[in-house]
Amino acid sequence: MKKTLKKKYPFTMLFLCFSSLLMIFPFIWMILSAFKTSSDVYAYPPKWIPSSFKWDNFAEVFKKIPFFRFYLNSILVSVTQTFLQILISAMGAFALTKLEFPGRKKIVTFMQSSLFVPEVVTIIPMFLIVSWAGLIDTYGGLILPELSCAFTTMLLMSFFETIPNDLIDAAKIDGCGYYRVFTHVMIPNARTALGTSSLFAFLTHWRSYMWPLLATNNVNLRTLPIGLKYLVQETSTEYQVLMAASVMAIVPVLIVYLLMEKEFVQSITLTGLKS
Amino acid sequence: MKRNVVFTIAVLALCVIAMPAMAAGSETKLTVWYAVSGDSGEAFKAMLEKYDAANDDVSLQYSYSGNYGDTATKVSAALVSNTAPDVALMAAGPLYTGARNDFFIESKINDSDFNKNDIFPGVWEYAEYNGRICAVPYGISTPVLFYNKAIMEKAGINMKNPPKTWDEFFKVAEAAQTKGNITGASDFWGFDVTDVAWLYKSMLSQNGNTVIKVKNNNVSPAFDDEKSVEVATFWKKLVDAKLMPVGQHSNAEKKFLSGNLAFLVASSARIARWAKDPSLKVGAIPMPYFKKPSVALGGNVLIILAKDQKVKEEAWKLVKYLARAENQTGYALKTGYLPIRKSGIALPEAKETIEKNEMFGVAFDQLDYAWSYWHFEQMGTMDQILVQVIDSIERNTMSPKDALQKGAAELQAEIDG
Repeated sequence: MKKTLKKKYPFTMLFLCFSSLLMIFPFIWMILSAFKTSSDVYAYPPKWIPSSFKWDNFAEVFKKIPFFRFYLNSILVSVTQTFLQILISAMGAFALTKLEFPGRKKIVTFMQSSLFVPEVVTIIPMFLIVSWAGLIDTYGGLILPELSCAFTTMLLMSFFETIPNDLIDAAKIDGCGYYRVFTHVMIPNARTALGTSSLFAFLTHWRSYMWPLLATNNVNLRTLPIGLKYLVQETSTEYQVLMAASVMAIVPVLIVYLLMEKEFVQSITLTGLKS
Repeated sequence: MKRNVVFTIAVLALCVIAMPAMAAGSETKLTVWYAVSGDSGEAFKAMLEKYDAANDDVSLQYSYSGNYGDTATKVSAALVSNTAPDVALMAAGPLYTGARNDFFIESKINDSDFNKNDIFPGVWEYAEYNGRICAVPYGISTPVLFYNKAIMEKAGINMKNPPKTWDEFFKVAEAAQTKGNITGASDFWGFDVTDVAWLYKSMLSQNGNTVIKVKNNNVSPAFDDEKSVEVATFWKKLVDAKLMPVGQHSNAEKKFLSGNLAFLVASSARIARWAKDPSLKVGAIPMPYFKKPSVALGGNVLIILAKDQKVKEEAWKLVKYLARAENQTGYALKTGYLPIRKSGIALPEAKETIEKNEMFGVAFDQLDYAWSYWHFEQMGTMDQILVQVIDSIERNTMSPKDALQKGAAELQAEIDG
């Protein structure tokens, strides 16, 4: 099969290999830089391979910042946010695709338009609400404001629409209410979509910087993206230390991706159930 | 009897419970946000910790608030929701005090134990809004002209007698590029700069111009007249002679540190880090000039945002402590920022540092002719416009005069809203 593909589409294969290299290049650069010395990092033309592998860069991260604390906070906040966001999005998607109620289309249009509003516009009003609710410097203040996401709701809506209404009707005849239709019919049939949405949601929350920075002043509540900023100098950053921290920071993302890879790939080709 | 014993125990228990609360009630809580990270953040935090430990009547709560841009967003949001810190170390601080008609610091700087005249006059300008002081300058830096010692040695250039004017410098940079290529790389250059707008503003002042004009507290751009065109023309000459690469300023520091650039203009804040690295053979010379020596200031200031009068007074005590000659100079020597006080430079530790590395001396001496323009809301936009203007001059898409006039018109439109 592989040989056939290579022979049949040599230019496509070449293009794909080149594109893959482009995608993987920053990761390789980051990993190699994590082991470099200061002079290696600033070498010009750039030095690919470190002159000596400096493991001390990793130890330096723990000396400079409470890395474990930031790490735990990031995991706690991202996992909780992802779980709650997907739950809310899935319920919203179910209601908006399978239930009939007045104003449904208007809600969908309103939700779609919210995708075009940049975060910077909403961040200060959101801060005011969270501040008024007394949630600044709390995990609640970190987690709750970032739960609603039109993107994951719409992604799930597109998958839920492919689930035939006949299946829902059959479940209703068998005595299922809305709750059981949601948990026993919709969720099991949309596992691939849920996996993809979870991956997107987790990545967004794991990288989130501005909101956690605004919502926290206490260092014990801060997350990894802010922690990485502690390592950045106004001038002449020690990039090798920053890269060592970054390498450690992407491990959970890689784990989540490896766990969700199958669902992620399937979701791209998913066509839905046949009626 | 039994009832009395129970009553006494209850009273004592209440006293024990109330004591910490009473004690806490007597101490003033101060929140401090700082926009410096890495070594600078650690050094600033260490001073806060020291102050906190030495003052029982004050309790400090401090946190890093992100880089300058992030801190501006955080402070803006906090001001709207009444959750602003009492003290902040940030860039463009006057926009958060003076612009809101808060000149509390101006009313305090005459304190005898503050000694405002000890602070360099040009440095004070960096803390003004509408000509009034509303901040205390703190992490101050200036552009410095660095050179690679190995390149100078190979080119046979003696930096003991450095070029004074830009015309003299042009010849030296040309010689360094022609004769000093130590790496053999084709991508070898005589001169470059990391922050284009910063050097350009310094050059304007050197040529007897200002960046902005102020009339009746109204700001308007002043970088489009004949003197500015002269500066822009010199800039273009550097590019045309292939001494400076076109539009590659973000790579300038890398090129310099790898030995592929003879001269680099970068922040004085580089000095502390570079001085620590024995493998770097780097020196610095006073910034060349057109008509008079001049360098534009950059960096951060301390501001007080507290509302309660008692808290304001405590915040001012903290600011005074941080701005003491020994504290601020100690911070400067650790981080690469510059001393703000004349007496700071005279301290033994400062003298010792200068003796160890002459680059500190060059940067410190520049404070005598460092200057700043008034803070105004569109100052960030002005820098972006200047970068675009210079880029179009370097790429030869516009003449210096046209580019400057277009940039000034754009800025004026921004100011007019």
